[in-house]
Amino acid sequence: MRPGTLIALLGLALAATLCWSLMVGAVPVRIGVVLNTLFGLDGPRQDFIITRSRLPRGLLAALTGGALALSGAIIQTILRNDLASPKIIGINAGAALGVLTASLLLPKLSASYLPLAAAVGAALAAGLVFLLFELRAVSSARLILIGVALGLFFEAIVDFLLITVPGAAVSGPLIWLTGSLWERGWPELSLIWLPLTVLFAITGLLSYRLDLLRLGRAQAVGLGVRVRRERLVLLTLATMLAALSVSVVGVMGFVGLMAPHLARALVGWRHRLLLPAAGLIGAILVTFADATGRIIAPPAEISAGILTAFIGAPFFIVILWRNRREVQP
Amino acid sequence: MMVQRLSISALTGTIILAGAVFSLATGGRADVGAAEIWQALTGPGQGVALTILQDIRLPRSLAAGLLGMTLGVSGLILQTITLNPLASPAILGINQGAAVGMIGALIWPGLLAPEWLSIAAALVAGFVTFAISGGLAGRIDPMRLVLGGVAVGTFAYAAVRFTFTLDDVLAQQVLRWTVGDIADLRWSAVVRLAAIGLPALALSFALAHRLNLMALGPVGSQSLGHDPRLTLILGLILAAVLCGVSVSVAGPIAFIGLIAPHIARRLIGGDHRGLMPTTALCGAGVMLLADGFSKWLLAPLEAPVGVISALIGAPWFLWLTLRAKELH
Amino acid sequence: MHRLFVCLIGFALALAAVPAAAVEVTHAMGKTQVPDDPRRIVVLELSFVDALAAVSVAPVGIADDSDRDRVVAAYTDIIGQDWVSVGSRKTPSLERIAALAPDLIIADKTRHAGAYDTLSSIAPTIVLDSLTGDYHEALAQAAVIGKAIGKPEEMARRIATHTARMHGYAETFRVKAEGLTAQFGVANTTGLWLHSPNSYVGSLLRLFGFDASMTGANAGDYAATYVPVSLEQLSAIDPDILIVGRYTDPAITDTWADETLFQGLAAVRADHVFAVDAHEWSRLRGIIAAERLGARLAEIMTAL
Repeated sequence: MRPGTLIALLGLALAATLCWSLMVGAVPVRIGVVLNTLFGLDGPRQDFIITRSRLPRGLLAALTGGALALSGAIIQTILRNDLASPKIIGINAGAALGVLTASLLLPKLSASYLPLAAAVGAALAAGLVFLLFELRAVSSARLILIGVALGLFFEAIVDFLLITVPGAAVSGPLIWLTGSLWERGWPELSLIWLPLTVLFAITGLLSYRLDLLRLGRAQAVGLGVRVRRERLVLLTLATMLAALSVSVVGVMGFVGLMAPHLARALVGWRHRLLLPAAGLIGAILVTFADATGRIIAPPAEISAGILTAFIGAPFFIVILWRNRREVQP
Repeated sequence: MMVQRLSISALTGTIILAGAVFSLATGGRADVGAAEIWQALTGPGQGVALTILQDIRLPRSLAAGLLGMTLGVSGLILQTITLNPLASPAILGINQGAAVGMIGALIWPGLLAPEWLSIAAALVAGFVTFAISGGLAGRIDPMRLVLGGVAVGTFAYAAVRFTFTLDDVLAQQVLRWTVGDIADLRWSAVVRLAAIGLPALALSFALAHRLNLMALGPVGSQSLGHDPRLTLILGLILAAVLCGVSVSVAGPIAFIGLIAPHIARRLIGGDHRGLMPTTALCGAGVMLLADGFSKWLLAPLEAPVGVISALIGAPWFLWLTLRAKELH
Repeated sequence: MHRLFVCLIGFALALAAVPAAAVEVTHAMGKTQVPDDPRRIVVLELSFVDALAAVSVAPVGIADDSDRDRVVAAYTDIIGQDWVSVGSRKTPSLERIAALAPDLIIADKTRHAGAYDTLSSIAPTIVLDSLTGDYHEALAQAAVIGKAIGKPEEMARRIATHTARMHGYAETFRVKAEGLTAQFGVANTTGLWLHSPNSYVGSLLRLFGFDASMTGANAGDYAATYVPVSLEQLSAIDPDILIVGRYTDPAITDTWADETLFQGLAAVRADHVFAVDAHEWSRLRGIIAAERLGARLAEIMTAL
């Protein structure tokens, strides 16, 4: 099948998943009621559930899923390792630490500041990784290790705070750590849709650069690419994409790791195709996981971040198993 | 040479002694400190101090020491068979896998004894990490190993964090436990740990020669007629057993498996026949010190020992990654 | 004629636009306009169920952690079984809450402060500190709830009755409780959490005349409400009376039963260790709950 057709099909799948997510949850809503509510028609409506809860939530899930997937795709290309992900440049742990620190040390702070704290924490963590990397500037392998080490360190501090600060275990931060869209709505969406869209556009424009970087340092330099600078720009892009996502929906560990893999299996390496495909797959994944989490044991909700890991892990393992003899480009 | 050997032994001995004293002297009661413990040990011994020493602190410190040994040796084996000085049970996802096993035992009690479920899950996690990194083909890519471990660890941790959304009593139990906690270990736990851990340690020591060959690298060792795959499998199983039994007793304690082998290598060099026991002792020393800290830092409250070991170990790991030579 | 008609329509519309008479309620997150006589109330903590039951008002939705038994018989005898579960107290299902079309939501400060704006968009919401508040705060919160549901005098009368009853208990306990320390804790298989003197049960015990054991040099500084303790720490705190609610069976206190240190506790030696229902003592935190606590304590005291 032609890659263009595949991407169109993915787009349709996303639309279908979004529609489905509007209908399912602790309160099942028939398609007729959904349409009534969305288009202001006569008949039974569910204003809060559809327009204030599920619609913004679905859109948020799609946006953040796409952003995480793109971030993962960029990182995997730049570090030339298909096991890399936003997690390994310390973003998830940094964001978690930012949120926890803010909410525990400044409890009077309004909850609407927490996304900011998360973004700051994530950016700081990634920045620290890059700084340390620049100090030793040897290879992407080292960057990965530094990111993993820093991530583990921040996670240790998060665990320390969770255990020792009273009341931490029952409040929001713990839920947020599992990657949940509970209570997320228009306020969070309006915070990030514009920056994310801009970042999506920029990423798309840099597709060709990513293709060149994938060829490897020597070839890229030979083709006139200022490798170090471009790598830094792209990594910053990836950081911002992931940080913005994590700041509103929490830590979703698997999306950035997995979506690029699936996309690559479908459409190949060319980033003009890979990026849209990965973005769509990420969006579908998170939207589907969020909706599914609502219907497994209502009225309890299972966090999307947990479900993306559970759904994704088998796929991931199968793909890695099949590729285990593949040589890294 | 003799002097060097003596000074190394003296150093190791001092660390362990200091750790033991620190661990025994701290605890929930401020009025039972070093002096009271000393009296209880040496003097006629009466009352609370003796009871606390016998029933609570001795088994706990002993457990800490044993845990240090099993985790340290587990880390050493992993570092050797993966030819990667940055490997450890936590980084390869084995710790987290064992944690999933323990959670399973909590949720479905009666399925299998917690220790065995934990070990089984640790084996599965380790196996998956190895498969991802190419171990089944005999050649392990160090980067894929670390990243595969991160991926497996992430997945296992999602499973653990899943329990937070369940019943809040269960969530409370899981939360405290998942960072590694030896607060209420008694003699029964020491026995469980020793029953599986000591034989595993003995077997590991027996593997020392093979590990020496492994460390020569694939080419060098094969020219000496050594089959790396066998060592790989044996080593992995032993590491998983050591890790699994530790996690089943105390929860996943991170970084001991990373730090202890490094300290030991600095002291005694790369020959596994001496390196293994030294690693065991260094691990014990570090755990004892960490245990003491965990009780002393926020007295009278306790910080779980796993958190302390992570707070010490993670910066250490960071420093190692900055210093380490190229992995390839 | 046409003009008059339009004026009438306009007047009627204007009337409809005027909000129903409302009450202004001050709570932990500020002030909220609550309708005069709310009929459809959703509560997100069990202590709020208690307050409603105390004046015989039935909520339409309760966050019961998906376990209807958590709303104990003492409450369902009054409010019935018609309420709908809206999920866990930690993350209640906003959809279920909205589907109930409530006109008042009562939420907990620690758990739900972050969701205040969203909850307010469903219905007027008041937020009270149930989780970390002590007994006296629980009474104050009941008064606030009484005002919010349009029954301030009835609630005040109920609180007065209740206070009298509690003083009655305190009088009964006074002689025996003199100079004794009592400590309450909850246990599961892996740990024991003591409720400090500034917790609901802790402050209740002090009201009844018991001394607190978690203060002073031997127990250190316990700032938190619920404190995890090891056996050693328990032996340092060493209360005269130990009241334990077990969430699991067996709990860690059963594991400790064979140990010399546990057997050396003052409470154990004097056979003053008492088992109570963990859920009732720890989670309910209300007026009716306090009276049940008092009754149970009276039983315990006869054994002393």
